[in-house]
Amino acid sequence: MKAVFYTAEALLWAEKLGETPWPLLPVANRPLLDYWLETCAELGISRVQVILGEGAEQVEEFAGTGDRWGLEIQYSFARASEQPLDYLRATSDRWTDGLFFIGGAFFLRRRQAYKSAGLKTMEACLHGNSDQPHFLYGKNGSEVKTLLDGNPGSKRGLEQAHIHPYVIDDIPAYFDLNMKMVAGEFSRYLTAGFSNTKGSSVGYNVMTPPSAHLRSPLIIGNDCRFGIMSTIGPKAVVADHVIVDSRTTLTNCLILQDTYIGRNLEIENKIVSGNRLISAIDGTAIKIDDSWLVARNRPDMRTEDLVRYIILWFLALALALVQVVPFCILYPLVWVTRIGAYRREVFHDPRTGFVTLPIFQKLKNRKSVVYRLFRAATLDRFPWLLLALRGRLFVCGHPPMRHPADDEVIKQLSQYYPAVFSYADYSRDSDRLVDSLWYAHIRSLFEDVKILIKSLLYRFFRGGSK
Amino acid sequence: MIITCSKEHGIGVIQVSHALTAATVDSFREQLLNWQSAEPAVKNYVIDLKQVDFMDSAGLGTLIAALKRISEQGGDMKIACLQKKPRMVFEITRAYKVFEICDTVDEALKMFK
Repeated sequence: MKAVFYTAEALLWAEKLGETPWPLLPVANRPLLDYWLETCAELGISRVQVILGEGAEQVEEFAGTGDRWGLEIQYSFARASEQPLDYLRATSDRWTDGLFFIGGAFFLRRRQAYKSAGLKTMEACLHGNSDQPHFLYGKNGSEVKTLLDGNPGSKRGLEQAHIHPYVIDDIPAYFDLNMKMVAGEFSRYLTAGFSNTKGSSVGYNVMTPPSAHLRSPLIIGNDCRFGIMSTIGPKAVVADHVIVDSRTTLTNCLILQDTYIGRNLEIENKIVSGNRLISAIDGTAIKIDDSWLVARNRPDMRTEDLVRYIILWFLALALALVQVVPFCILYPLVWVTRIGAYRREVFHDPRTGFVTLPIFQKLKNRKSVVYRLFRAATLDRFPWLLLALRGRLFVCGHPPMRHPADDEVIKQLSQYYPAVFSYADYSRDSDRLVDSLWYAHIRSLFEDVKILIKSLLYRFFRGGSK
Repeated sequence: MIITCSKEHGIGVIQVSHALTAATVDSFREQLLNWQSAEPAVKNYVIDLKQVDFMDSAGLGTLIAALKRISEQGGDMKIACLQKKPRMVFEITRAYKVFEICDTVDEALKMFK
């Protein structure tokens, strides 16, 4: 038997959910295509043909050669004028050993009584209309031919194998399927190595502070971070690489991968995909260009990082040139009058492990014009700027993390950019860990320039009084 | 950003056009303050958001600031005709707990009686 998956059709409702091609849209954190391929493996099908449309590269990258499922996958593109049924009829001589066809966003929803043996003994059947079938199954050439000629086959269809033929034809249907899965059905699809203890599934590398509440049933993917006093669940599906900031509540919702959810929000009956917010009830979608609410996390930015680093280096050079004369005049005065001085502290370093950095500290708690000028002009950071010019620090990024005080924070950062300026310079109530994770995902030239300007201005107007 | 201000039964009706975002909040705030200065007798307000199709956290923050200022002056403010997309922002930010939201301007005006 051969399997054919027709994914060339564009689905308008799926486009609202972001850039992910619809065959890869997650159902309980697994791509739809993954379920299809798993079913093929259960049926003993070894050869699969995927007919590609938009997002072909991503689909091919995900499924590859099919080795993961023990399958052999071939890819082809649909002709613009050709409907799936036309293709199946034109190539009917290839289906003499039987055909397992899925066209469109179709989910084989297993009922409680489902057993994989039932699939193998299933009679020929067809779902969808005769022009555009969603599902077609025949064990031999004559059964397939009968179905292609318009005969629907078994009246019970997939139900004979205790499978509900679930057509995902809009956003509410897609959301509803995910909610059904999180409510308990996902355990019917678990493969070896997974556990659904207490109706919950939590992936690898998920960080939850003690004050965060996880309420089952819920499904959480890998590499997720939850802020303090956040509440996740019941009935929340959270995909991979999601950051939820402090005091935010997620209930009855679906959060797709690479998403940041801001502070003190309430997400209910919604789908959030990056910076897109979609109503699960009527499919209304908005794109929010406001990173305080919801935003997209960006996974790989090596080229951008390099460009950012070079431009920021020149900005640091300009700043250091402006500061060198005032520093040479004011620091001796500050030091001689014993108002402040540098002392060295040990910090984490991404390359060498640890590094000692000079920290300027006020020695005497008395008002001084010289000290105020020194701080307001950010001259206390002049040695750090020199280190940035030598490539030992970034200009903008994370605040350098102390050793051993910040060891726990460092453990949770996959990317660490110790820098001269950070959010902490102008946002006093910032959460060190969440801000660091946030910066690692949102970092850009614009963000760095914003941090630099805000830090300098804040210190100019407020820094001198500290 | 243009806001149209009128007075109905002694209540200020502020009709807002376009999106209420970081780019437009300054203009909104300025025009509202100017009208409030010109009409010091008006204590209660209805903000008509019928033509507002998008709002971000800055827009929401400005509405909350306006509500706070009006409340401090002994008045009240209600939101009317909230559209689908800004309503979603109200929902996720819990702003619906802060504001009284009415379906129409008339309904909001009646609530002041």
